[in-house]
Amino acid sequence: MNKIWIIIKREYLTRVRKKTFIISTLLFPLLYLGLIFGMGFIAEKSKQNLHVAIIDSSGYFTEAAINKQNQADNSSLLTLVKGNADKVIADYKTAGYDGYIVIPAIDWKEGSDSLFFKSNKSYGSGSTAAVEAKLNRIWSDIKNDSLQIDLTKQQILTKKLGVTPKNIQDENANAKTAEGIGYIAGFLIYFILLIYGSQVMMGVMEEKTNRIAEVIVSSVKPFQMMLGKILGIGLVALTQFFLWIAFILIVYNVGKASGSGGMATQMVGSMQKIFTSVNVPLILFCFGFYFLAGFFFYSSLYGAIGSAVNEDMREAQSLSFPITMLVIISIALMTAAISDPTGPIAVWGSIIPFSSPIVMMARIPYGVPGTVPWWQLALSMGLLVLGFILTVWFAGKIYRTGILMYGKKPTWKEMIRWAFRKN
Amino acid sequence: MAAILELQNLKKYFATQKAVDDISLTVERGQIFGLLGPNGAGKTTLIRMITGIFYPDEGHIIFDGKKFDPVNDVGYIGYMPEERGLYKKMKIGEQAMYLAQLKGLSHKDAMAKIKKWFIKFEMESWWNKKVEDLSKGMGQKLQFVTTVLHEPKLIILDEPFSGLDPVNSNLIKDEIFNLAQSGSTIIFSTHRMEQVEEICNHIVLVNKGKKILDGTVKQVKQEFKENLFSIGSEQTLSSLNGMTPFELIGSKDHSHVIRIKEGQNPNAVLQYLLQQGIAIQSFNEILPSLNDIFIKLVEGTPTARQFQKIEA
Repeated sequence: MNKIWIIIKREYLTRVRKKTFIISTLLFPLLYLGLIFGMGFIAEKSKQNLHVAIIDSSGYFTEAAINKQNQADNSSLLTLVKGNADKVIADYKTAGYDGYIVIPAIDWKEGSDSLFFKSNKSYGSGSTAAVEAKLNRIWSDIKNDSLQIDLTKQQILTKKLGVTPKNIQDENANAKTAEGIGYIAGFLIYFILLIYGSQVMMGVMEEKTNRIAEVIVSSVKPFQMMLGKILGIGLVALTQFFLWIAFILIVYNVGKASGSGGMATQMVGSMQKIFTSVNVPLILFCFGFYFLAGFFFYSSLYGAIGSAVNEDMREAQSLSFPITMLVIISIALMTAAISDPTGPIAVWGSIIPFSSPIVMMARIPYGVPGTVPWWQLALSMGLLVLGFILTVWFAGKIYRTGILMYGKKPTWKEMIRWAFRKN
Repeated sequence: MAAILELQNLKKYFATQKAVDDISLTVERGQIFGLLGPNGAGKTTLIRMITGIFYPDEGHIIFDGKKFDPVNDVGYIGYMPEERGLYKKMKIGEQAMYLAQLKGLSHKDAMAKIKKWFIKFEMESWWNKKVEDLSKGMGQKLQFVTTVLHEPKLIILDEPFSGLDPVNSNLIKDEIFNLAQSGSTIIFSTHRMEQVEEICNHIVLVNKGKKILDGTVKQVKQEFKENLFSIGSEQTLSSLNGMTPFELIGSKDHSHVIRIKEGQNPNAVLQYLLQQGIAIQSFNEILPSLNDIFIKLVEGTPTARQFQKIEA
């Protein structure tokens, strides 16, 4: 036990003291935030205010009707072309338009699906959608006038019935929040499994290529060596995770203390909303559990592969492909589980050990025991523990043989034979 | 006192090979014991069983008078494998400390011992360097230090001189003698016979998983001698005819190699030569080198062993 502890300490300290650890710990949340805000920002920025010539053959469009909507919404500018339409079509650019739309001679009761915004450039759907929406508002005004529907009637007509899912077992549940947390938790576990799993694999490969493996196994058992590495790297991942939580808490408290700032208060407000709508301690506990158990499950397999291959990174990649596929399949199942958290894919995906760390974490925010009954959670956890005991045992057997083998890359079949060989 | 290590009918079969096939041997305390054999003879497998890396399929290992207990006894063994190395990115001092702690030394103990060895090998200034900054020879020195640091009772060195220049080779060689002197037992595995002759007291030769030779260097040489002698004389011996007690094998310059005939002895040869009026400058027995013996015993067996199906 003492020897495992020495190995854990080395694996942990050598990684945590590296510059790359500090940089990646700081950079990941920044990148993550950057990605979220950046995408919204770019989408907003890349929208163009199009100036569109409307060539009307139907006779319904009037300058007054168009101007009314131009004033209400300046995301695009529509101009009714009077007089020589052919001249505009031939030379819309010099007239100052980005493009033109020809309204054919249609009946106001019919409408038309086949109008075209013609221009010599391609515009994003965001920009053309604004034009379409405005055109439809004008069309509505025209229809309302023809049907003699006044403003009061219009308002009555737009009234709708809203339906929001509400779980009676969990009064505070909020599907939108749950979905968001589920995505974040699932993806975090996905990243951790892939990134730290491959770190275990590389660590084992390093020991093999540096030829230190046999030196170490003359002091400790190969199983201790593997376990020490997995636990050490798991602790590194946990440390990184705690630093991120601390980072969030600091941002939260600073935001709360500073009070007034627009974005800060908004963030604090939305976080408070999250804290009240979900069971934060349960989610954190489950996250810790699935993160560690999932990490043991996968990293031991990655470790076994690291022990079996030689220096060649490509060998490792081709051999670890099936394992990586399992992680990726889990993400696909997670997406299905989030859209239908009580469906059969969600239930089975969150119980079967290989996908449960990711899929279950996506379901839990929807509420326990509302969406995830206690028996499912217990079964999932129990099976995952069994699962990782099995993979760690299996990996240990492969590791024991692989770590001392040099030469040809083994196949999965050979590795399975190693696992069932006597010492 | 009992022998430090006793192997009794050790067997280890792999799927395609009888790696170690019923080997028994005894290593006495304070010996420098040569474990010899061609590539793939089963040396490494044998050593891995002694170091607790593999369990034997059959047979017993008695270490220091008791049944070998891999978990606790590895602390009394220092093993430098043939495939050896260190963490490239780790500082040298920390690396030595890590390996020493894995052998069960406390931090304080390890520190004192590392300092002692580093001073002895003039490595004090290396403490904060990384292994990747060291030359191959320097790395080998560090490797040796980490092998013997915990003062093991049994030290197993597999090709310890590979990658070392003559100066560092001598340094390590002297240390091996020192360690043997101070009571450690050393098992030295190699196929460099000139080193074995220089260093070892006792040798065992394994081939194809079996022990084919066991004895002190002197005994072995006596056993394989071919009654060859060299005679230094300015006169030629080829003109001698008749009932010579020897046959002449060859002559070069003023040195002649003879083989004494069966039933004769060196004295008879000398008597005969004196009677013939030959002026003798020197008369020496030519013992076979271990290299010759090795080649003679191993010759004819393919260097890489054929794979055979084993029903274990």
